[in-house]
Amino acid sequence: MTLKSNLKNILLVIFTTLLLSACSTAKKSGVIDGDVYTGKDTVEYLAAGVPDRVFFATNKSSLTTASRATLRKQATFLRKNKNLNVVIEGHADERGTREYNLALGERRANAARDYLMTYGISGKRLSVISYGKEKPVNAKSSPISWSQNRRSVTVKVN
Amino acid sequence: MIRSLIYSLTFHSVMILLTVLSLPFMLREPVDLPPIVSVELIQISDKTMIPYAPKARKIIEDQKKKEEEKRVVSEQAPPSAKAKEKPDRIPLPNKKEEEKKIIKKKQNPEEIKPQIRQSSEFEKKEVVDTNQIAALIDKAKEIEATEKKDSNKITQSNKKNSFATGLTLSEEDALRAQIFGCWSVPLGLPYDQNLLVRVKLQLKKDGTILKSEILDHERMNRPGQKFYKVLAESALRAVRMCQPLKVPPTGYDKWKDLQLNFNPEEMLKG
Amino acid sequence: MKKIIYILLINIFFVNSLSALIEVDITRGNLDPLPIAISPLHVDIKSEKYKDLNVKDLGDKISEIIEKNFRNTGLFNPLKKDAFVQKPDIAHLKPRFEDWRLIKAQALVTGKLLISGEKLKVEFRLWDLAAAQEMTALAFTTTPSNWRRVAHIISDKIYERLTGEEGYFDTRIIYVAESGPKTQRIKKLAIMDQDGFNTKYLTLGNELVLTPRFNPTNQMVTYMSYFRNMPRVYLLDIETGSQEVVGNFPGMTFAPRFSPDGKKIIMSFAKDGNSDIFTMDLETRLVERITEHSSIDTSPSFSPDGKFIAFNSDRSGLQQIYVMRSDGSNVKRITFGKGIYGTPVWSPRGDLIAFTKMHKGKFFIGVMRVDGTGERLLTENYYQEAPSWSPNGRVLVFYRETKSGTKGEGFSAKLWSIDITGYNERRLLTKTDASDPSWSSLLSK
Repeated sequence: MTLKSNLKNILLVIFTTLLLSACSTAKKSGVIDGDVYTGKDTVEYLAAGVPDRVFFATNKSSLTTASRATLRKQATFLRKNKNLNVVIEGHADERGTREYNLALGERRANAARDYLMTYGISGKRLSVISYGKEKPVNAKSSPISWSQNRRSVTVKVN
Repeated sequence: MIRSLIYSLTFHSVMILLTVLSLPFMLREPVDLPPIVSVELIQISDKTMIPYAPKARKIIEDQKKKEEEKRVVSEQAPPSAKAKEKPDRIPLPNKKEEEKKIIKKKQNPEEIKPQIRQSSEFEKKEVVDTNQIAALIDKAKEIEATEKKDSNKITQSNKKNSFATGLTLSEEDALRAQIFGCWSVPLGLPYDQNLLVRVKLQLKKDGTILKSEILDHERMNRPGQKFYKVLAESALRAVRMCQPLKVPPTGYDKWKDLQLNFNPEEMLKG
Repeated sequence: MKKIIYILLINIFFVNSLSALIEVDITRGNLDPLPIAISPLHVDIKSEKYKDLNVKDLGDKISEIIEKNFRNTGLFNPLKKDAFVQKPDIAHLKPRFEDWRLIKAQALVTGKLLISGEKLKVEFRLWDLAAAQEMTALAFTTTPSNWRRVAHIISDKIYERLTGEEGYFDTRIIYVAESGPKTQRIKKLAIMDQDGFNTKYLTLGNELVLTPRFNPTNQMVTYMSYFRNMPRVYLLDIETGSQEVVGNFPGMTFAPRFSPDGKKIIMSFAKDGNSDIFTMDLETRLVERITEHSSIDTSPSFSPDGKFIAFNSDRSGLQQIYVMRSDGSNVKRITFGKGIYGTPVWSPRGDLIAFTKMHKGKFFIGVMRVDGTGERLLTENYYQEAPSWSPNGRVLVFYRETKSGTKGEGFSAKLWSIDITGYNERRLLTKTDASDPSWSSLLSK
């Protein structure tokens, strides 16, 4: 009986996964999902397996599922290293006005900070700075480069 | 809450200021910029209203003679062509009037828009003082109208015996085309102002100008109407540059008084 | 190419049947730039030497500056000097008008200068060649090293007399000078004359600086600096070089601008992911909150009468332009067109707002009425933003960035200007790459 329902569940999961991936493949092109960078280029690591940055969609500051997973890893890392403080840098791509991008970068950095705080990291350890579009990581003018530049990066301070 | 916030911010800013002022890093070498100079302005226009140099007058007269000769030749040549042109050209004005109407219709939506979007009272009252501008324009129109009457009176009394006919269309076209070429329209005129400049001319038989007069003269010195002075001057300049005007060889009595209505509005909107 | 634009042919022939006064309507003309002859200034032989100034050439140089200013307006066509027949000194006394008319000039500028007793005296006359009369004449006395400014002031006077509008030549532009690769740009505050001369750097480039703006008297500049990694709005006195942080905000302040009376700075303050607009009174140090909204409110700009503020906000979901009273009440959205709108800047005349628009991957600089109607897009490009008005409200200066190639190469940022008619787009020459321009008001007023 339990075996049967398990099988049923597994089938259901497989089916929905296929269905969802069918939907998402329409937007997926290599390392960009929708508008958000999902690749590994430009990513650095705070420690083994702890990526330092998360990426955002154009004009957005909401965290994707992948971003949340990354930030949970960062939270775990920060809990282990209690004396470590970090600064979260918010960035935007070059396709916006300078002043708005400064605000947008600040909003992105705070989205990351808020998430880390819900995982028990004290706000005192997490400072925030926005660079707007002033410090791109990729100098090219292409959708992939822009997606790599729309980011918030957690940087160790001490 | 807000008050205490303000107190705190003010206090903090004073503190920060003190810190900032006392810190060495904020000190900087003054930048080597030239100081802002004060200049003395001296009006020297009174000194120099110089009459024509005698040599100049000679050259001008020589030129005029030459041009006169040319003109006579060219106008005598195609009288038959002129006659043919006439019937074709007569319906033109109507067409053009229609065109004008259509253009005005097209412009209307833009003109109406602000009224629809009157949602904010302050925009109407304070930011764009449309009422005042409108009042100004109305005033200008009134003045214009009264002046038009005046000028009519004058011409009426002076010219009781004149024929009630003007130039033929081709004659008018020739004159107009000539002035089009001479008139450098000042750039940077406002879009939303009355730009009509009426110039009254008294001509000699050879088409040179005896007297020229701007009819709305006092508008030139009204505040906020500097552009009008510039525009009026450009009209006068055009007439002078064009001398002698291409007037018909006959019928001097008909055209010895001539009014030119300069209006660049259509051109600027197009 | 000669561009004679005959646009509309509307021939309405009025015959005034009562008076028989013939009226002819002139509805077309020549939209060519006005031909103007600028004669070199005559240098008085009594002129004395002054430092390293080459006094002999000064007359030529001043007339060249005037000529360049006028060519750059797009409204005038300064004629070639080799066609000039009269010597400068004689022309200045009494031009032979018909000679100048022969080269098709409509206006003539003549002048002379004298250096005596460490003073430079320059006088000029503007002649209407058709009417054969003087239109205006002025004399200036100043220190000889100021000769470039004298040339600009003369340009302003002539421009004002010929167009009925104030000039904009005796002005400066402050901007951010850029160098280095795109990912590690070095940025310095720089200031130059409107024609690109006399460039001076106000910061060393050790920290990132952005968005400098003049105060109404052109002596102070407010800008944003990342000094000590604390992004804050600063106030800089150009003459003394002294700087201070504006206000004591526990977070990033940015997008500063002066109020039209110069007494306040308006700016954005970002806290916990939310940016709102604040003002600080420079005398009382009082900070006032102007907007309170969970969206990004930034790029504020006062109307010239100080009663209203335009800003951009994404409270509707995307960046759009709003106008409110200067106390923050009565917020109204004014842009409803397709695309995203930002960087509203109120014109000095108060009748227009310049903005940046982003639509379908392109960036536009445009102007519209203050209620958002009558939008006119002046120029389209890959990336351009941050318009700033010339003091007479006739020209906009902005910066434009080029697309970089597949290897990140070919990136540049330059200053450009365009007439509000959409004509006469041209690049302003700067010694380095440049962005965030801000135009001063007239220096001599």
